[in-house]
Amino acid sequence: MARRNKLLASSIEATRYQREWFAGLREAVAGGAPLALVNADAPQEIFRAMGIPYVVNQWWASVVAAKRRTGEYLRTLRENGYPDYSEQYSATSLASVFAEIPDPPWNGLPRPTIVLGDTTGDASRKVFDIWDEQDGIAYYPLESAAADTVPVNWWELMPDQWETVIGTARLDLMVAELEGLVRFLETTTGRVFRESRFREVMALINEQEEWNRRTRDLIARTRPVPLRVDDSISSVMVPQWHRGTVWARDAARRFHDEVAARVAAGEAACPGERLRLMWIGRGLWYDMDFYRYFEERHGAVFVWSMYLAIAADGYIRHGDDPMRALAARFAAFSDQLYRPPWSNEWYLKEARLHQVDGVVHLVGEDARSGWFITETLERAGIPVFELRVDNVDQRAYDLTTVRAAVDDWLTDRVAGRASKKPSPHTPSAP
Amino acid sequence: MSTTPAALKELRDAYDDRPAAIRRRRAAGAPVVGCVGADVPVELVTAAGALPVRLAGDPARDRAAADRYLGTGLDPAARSILAGLLSGEPELDLLLISNDCAASLRLFYTVRELRRLGVEPSLPRTHLVDVLHLPHRTTTRYNRVRLAETKELLERWSGRRIGESELAKAVRQHDEARRRILALRRLRTADRPALRGEDALVAIGAGAVLTPEEHAALLDRLMLADAGLPRYDGPRLYLTGSAHDGPEVYRAIEAAGYLIVADDHDWGDALAGPLVGEPTLDALAERYQYRAPTAARSSVRVRADQTAATVERSHPDLLVCYVRDRDEAPAWDFPAQRRAAGVPAVILEHRRYGELGEDALPIIADALRTARQNGETG
Repeated sequence: MARRNKLLASSIEATRYQREWFAGLREAVAGGAPLALVNADAPQEIFRAMGIPYVVNQWWASVVAAKRRTGEYLRTLRENGYPDYSEQYSATSLASVFAEIPDPPWNGLPRPTIVLGDTTGDASRKVFDIWDEQDGIAYYPLESAAADTVPVNWWELMPDQWETVIGTARLDLMVAELEGLVRFLETTTGRVFRESRFREVMALINEQEEWNRRTRDLIARTRPVPLRVDDSISSVMVPQWHRGTVWARDAARRFHDEVAARVAAGEAACPGERLRLMWIGRGLWYDMDFYRYFEERHGAVFVWSMYLAIAADGYIRHGDDPMRALAARFAAFSDQLYRPPWSNEWYLKEARLHQVDGVVHLVGEDARSGWFITETLERAGIPVFELRVDNVDQRAYDLTTVRAAVDDWLTDRVAGRASKKPSPHTPSAP
Repeated sequence: MSTTPAALKELRDAYDDRPAAIRRRRAAGAPVVGCVGADVPVELVTAAGALPVRLAGDPARDRAAADRYLGTGLDPAARSILAGLLSGEPELDLLLISNDCAASLRLFYTVRELRRLGVEPSLPRTHLVDVLHLPHRTTTRYNRVRLAETKELLERWSGRRIGESELAKAVRQHDEARRRILALRRLRTADRPALRGEDALVAIGAGAVLTPEEHAALLDRLMLADAGLPRYDGPRLYLTGSAHDGPEVYRAIEAAGYLIVADDHDWGDALAGPLVGEPTLDALAERYQYRAPTAARSSVRVRADQTAATVERSHPDLLVCYVRDRDEAPAWDFPAQRRAAGVPAVILEHRRYGELGEDALPIIADALRTARQNGETG
């Protein structure tokens, strides 16, 4: 696969920063620093505040998948008696503890001393249990609570009314979990948790995500779209994994400013944009060309993925009590993306905001409420293509067949419908 | 050849046609509360004057309607439960779904959303009972809040206050049934077991549709008949892994001459322990938090400890880990269980719901033969 030139300076800078950071992290760990491996939807803010280096489990899996090396890691798991068909996204990193593959991406994953994840899912917590069996590695499991009833419009309420949205019982539990985590880290690493530093971290994150919100809104209302989703993933996600730092806050602002400049200059990702597409699901890391394959033939450009949108809507939590605000960020984080009614109603809200003509919906084996997402969008008149593959395990992915099927769907269901809609908006200044 | 004892036949009748047992109960005017998972506090349902019935899947049931909503990436046992609910069988007055595994929680979200959207209006009123399981005091405190909410919900729904005496009576009744389930172990783990694994599964599972008093009485009669029960011989297996809400897999294994002397899922032996004891919400919260380990909720380490303890009391020749397709947690437990067991072990992965699979019996036979050659069986 030919490597694409990066469109954005913010993306180039993010990738450079990430490589420099990873090299520094490797050195620090070699020098005896603790290292945490944390799940993407876990409260990394505690580690940030305490100065404990961490690697995000799913980020690492995406790096491996982008290099198309996931299969080798899964084979290592199998050789050690573990399933290679279960929780591939979360389990890729675990293979490194048994044996590193030859010439691994980024010189391989340094061995962590702490792993953090919640107990969502029957199998996913087991992956962390296996980490916990290894010498010198401790797993801190977080409870994952659920609610009987919830208000639908979480994206409007979460920033300020999170106590109402999530409920006191879940928040009390998550606060207790986080207090326990702080004590655990103080005890095992000798590092100190300072409330003043924690407040700074939380404030920086709200600022960062507010920039992401402005960027999301700008992209949503601009036709033709100034950048496609794969242009923006590094610009959003690298700062996301570094949230709570000045660099990350400023990176989000630079990304916004760069997008605003493109809009002001009338620069388009796909100048012949005719169809605006939404990508629902995790990134298709092993076939990133997918996201621009349909531009030439259909003028179809992917304008939306969850990575910027969840940064815009899913993280901001105001409030005087930073620990409770942090609990509110993560007590129901995956509900926002995966559980009805929150997930389907949010995707519909975002589809309308971004004026999309069609949705490609990645429905993996672990189809988390996929029917409701597809149904809600289709009911609203937005055609949906369900792509049934795993986002990191490409063993069952047939590139030619998949692209042909999407091609047909664009022709048969999306193009005709879009041509009957009123003429598109003109580009608007930020 | 011995005849089946009457008590076992009555237990089997209730077990084999669980929907019929529920219909009879409703026809008699008793409200019926469907329960999904083993974490619904049945004591509160009983104390509210209703019959808690635990819903089971059925491998023979057409799952297409449920698969439409849940997809096919989820444990087929949960998909089968939804298929049953969508077909209106059984009729329920209320549905309580526990968070005892990921599939149950997904089922709850699906039913809740189908009701909200008005897509399947015949689905019963449904609530979540979110009991969690990390071994921490903070989790107990959370569970206590959720159980208090469930109690209030049941009081509003039934129009009956659940007072101390009602709760005490219900706790006592359910604990008595549990005590007898625990006592069944003696019959199935004896040198020459008086109960096969399938008999035990049926005897325990019949409680899903019986009142705790009826269940306890039938189990008493079964155990009193001990001396007259047949004795079984054969290679002894400890079946671990996925839960079995039906007898098909047990039947297929034991028809080949093996005896399942132990299991560790919550349709079987792991349903009973521990007892509640004190009739308080605190005791209930602790009981459900710390009930016997299962593959879905417990850590790898806890499962391995459970395996070692179960081997110790049941003396199996072979540990057989059955992993149902789309129920993957047991496959992660298995390496540690094998290390802990101290007996030979095999894993059967990707099993279809309710099926043993054609390769399973040869795998088991090979493992036992190899163990005998190595002098590893008794």
